[in-house]
Amino acid sequence: MTSLIRRKIVQGLGAAASVGPFSIGSVLAQKNEIVIGAAQPITGVFSFAGVAMNNGLNDFCQWKNSKGGVQGRNLRYVAEDSGFKLDQGVAIFKKIMASEKPNFFYGDSTQWVKAVTQDAVASNHVMTSSTSLATVVADVKQVPQNIVPGPTYPRLHEILMEYIARTSRSGPKPNIAYVYADTEFGRDGIPGGKARAEKLGLPIVAEIVTKQSGIDVAPEVAKLRRAKPDIVIFQGYILAPMPEFVRQLREAGLNPQIMGTAWGLDKPAYDALGALGVRLTGASMYRYGHETDGPMINEMRTYLAKARPDVKNISPFYISSWLSGMIFAEIADRCLKAKKELTLPNMQAALSTMKEWDTGGVTGLLADVSQHQIPAGRIYSYDPDKKTMEPASGWIKV
Amino acid sequence: MRTGVFHETFAAEERLWDSPTARTWMLTFTALLFTMPAWGSDYVLAMACIIGIHVIATLGLNLTTGNAGLISLAHAAFLGVGCYTVAFLGRHGVPFYIALPAAGALAAALGVVVGLPSLRVKGIYLAIATIAAHFILTFVFREWESVTGGVPGTAIPRANLFGFEFRGDRRNFYLIFGCAFILALAARNLARTHIGRAFVAVRDRDFSAEILGVNLMRTKLLAFALGAFYAGTAGGLLGYFYGNITPDYFLLTLSVFYLAAIIVGGLGSVLGSVLGALFMTFVPEALRLFAQASSDRFPGVAGLLLPMQQAVFGILIIAFLIFEPHGLAAIWARVRRTFHLWPFRT
Repeated sequence: MTSLIRRKIVQGLGAAASVGPFSIGSVLAQKNEIVIGAAQPITGVFSFAGVAMNNGLNDFCQWKNSKGGVQGRNLRYVAEDSGFKLDQGVAIFKKIMASEKPNFFYGDSTQWVKAVTQDAVASNHVMTSSTSLATVVADVKQVPQNIVPGPTYPRLHEILMEYIARTSRSGPKPNIAYVYADTEFGRDGIPGGKARAEKLGLPIVAEIVTKQSGIDVAPEVAKLRRAKPDIVIFQGYILAPMPEFVRQLREAGLNPQIMGTAWGLDKPAYDALGALGVRLTGASMYRYGHETDGPMINEMRTYLAKARPDVKNISPFYISSWLSGMIFAEIADRCLKAKKELTLPNMQAALSTMKEWDTGGVTGLLADVSQHQIPAGRIYSYDPDKKTMEPASGWIKV
Repeated sequence: MRTGVFHETFAAEERLWDSPTARTWMLTFTALLFTMPAWGSDYVLAMACIIGIHVIATLGLNLTTGNAGLISLAHAAFLGVGCYTVAFLGRHGVPFYIALPAAGALAAALGVVVGLPSLRVKGIYLAIATIAAHFILTFVFREWESVTGGVPGTAIPRANLFGFEFRGDRRNFYLIFGCAFILALAARNLARTHIGRAFVAVRDRDFSAEILGVNLMRTKLLAFALGAFYAGTAGGLLGYFYGNITPDYFLLTLSVFYLAAIIVGGLGSVLGSVLGALFMTFVPEALRLFAQASSDRFPGVAGLLLPMQQAVFGILIIAFLIFEPHGLAAIWARVRRTFHLWPFRT
């Protein structure tokens, strides 16, 4: 019986193995469609964001097609699960590049963008984007095919420092402490923020680097206790360890303003901190999904209500990938209008003309994407009555 | 050992491929492998390159852990050392045929340092000591920005052989599998030398080995050095393959991946290393593709099947440990024995 089971397992593995990589993908891109490939982290440690990213880009393609597509061409979305593993993500890129010849590709990380750059540039027919707001993937010379769907992390921190400086004009300059994770998401924005703080005369009184997770907060809180900051800026965390920091700071008799940026301002963070009585404040690159003054956000909400009625909150990851889809579609639209093929140089040229592009209110100002990023953001603050993040400033361009 | 095989000389017993059938199969396999760039799709080649790199690294860990019985959880860090070495040397114009062996050599030198605790401790204590080495090295990867590029990582110039650039997977394939083939052959040969036998003696009972005349210090450090050399070479090839690398690749989970590969494949076996690396890379991919294909036909089950693949992969590994603790290599040996009786009697 045991050997029978073993044989069955081996046979099953063999069958699964033979089906997989040699199976032919779907047909190559048809002339009347534009293919957007994606390696999305639908499973794995980043799945909490990956599912929303996958839904966002998929829904944008469906929505756009329902509006007539791009110059009469439909968008076709081809995505596979990367599991947030580089090997898997790169293999998916190569697979979809070979079988579908996509013009646009969405990936799951900074690492992914860097790893596919040489192949993407060599292919001469694909532009990429991802959830990453890291500086290295916004470098037009090193990563010429990539578009960052927002400002980079340093720019978000510059926006935050501008806000702090503007709101503290009349009084003394507040003491600021940085607490950030020892990851690229955590570290990338800090030098930019510190440089802008120095320029604006804002004192950084403490700088604490922690692991991403499994942190013993107590010794770090002791450091903060000595520094007595008025503002603590967290960077590189989605939720933990921010609530624990707040609890222990309170116990230590400190009640600083808690700030953050980007993904650290999502619902899990502001709900958890709101429950502790914290009015989380921070720099966001997009409008929130509940806001009604952005026509594209309204479209997004309407579409979601119809297509995914179970989704009650529009995550910034969903908005980010939807915006990447919008940028892809706009590039294709400009190329096709000019009767140019969707080659990398033509698409780069089209992108360079997007200096005052209307995102439909996803970002506040007319977006300048010509430098492969959108260098603007806005400060939001938690409203305990509405239990949502509400605008605390106008849109700030840096 | 196969039934019905009688060796009349020691040399006959020591041959790598001991029958015409084995030699024919090996030749066929090698021919198929090295013509893969002509018939494989881009995806198949990309996966093959990744598997080739993992095979080299797994071979290295199998020498240290499988053959010599010394647990190492610093293998991913050794890969990182190799990768950053080729990146640094490449930026300074050193050609790849010098940079790649140098990557292996530097990793081997560090392997000796990391292996020093093995002279005093073994088992779980040695594992902890190597974990410490892993964290020290990964800290260096993140902080030594002028060499490693820090957290954002660094670019690695393409390998270039007298003007022939290894651009794209079809060319990288030959670089990776050329190295894999040579290193696998070297590992197989090593097992037949006094060094290989000393490794096994140390693994089975180090006191007895010392009484028999095996120099424990030299043997243990050599096992670490060789394992790290393989990992460094694999890391260098990884750099050439991706062209860009960040420290996030060399996590502790990668070391665990290789440890799982040698256990699933078969400890102390070259074939086990190859099969283990293949299993660990290919089965999750096959499960993912299967889940994806099923999801296309039955959209309702997509949300269930995709997360399930990790659980299925875990169950497969546990099943191997229970039903076949000697790994895939033992299954292959059984298959060979069966076929040797019929129809391929030699």
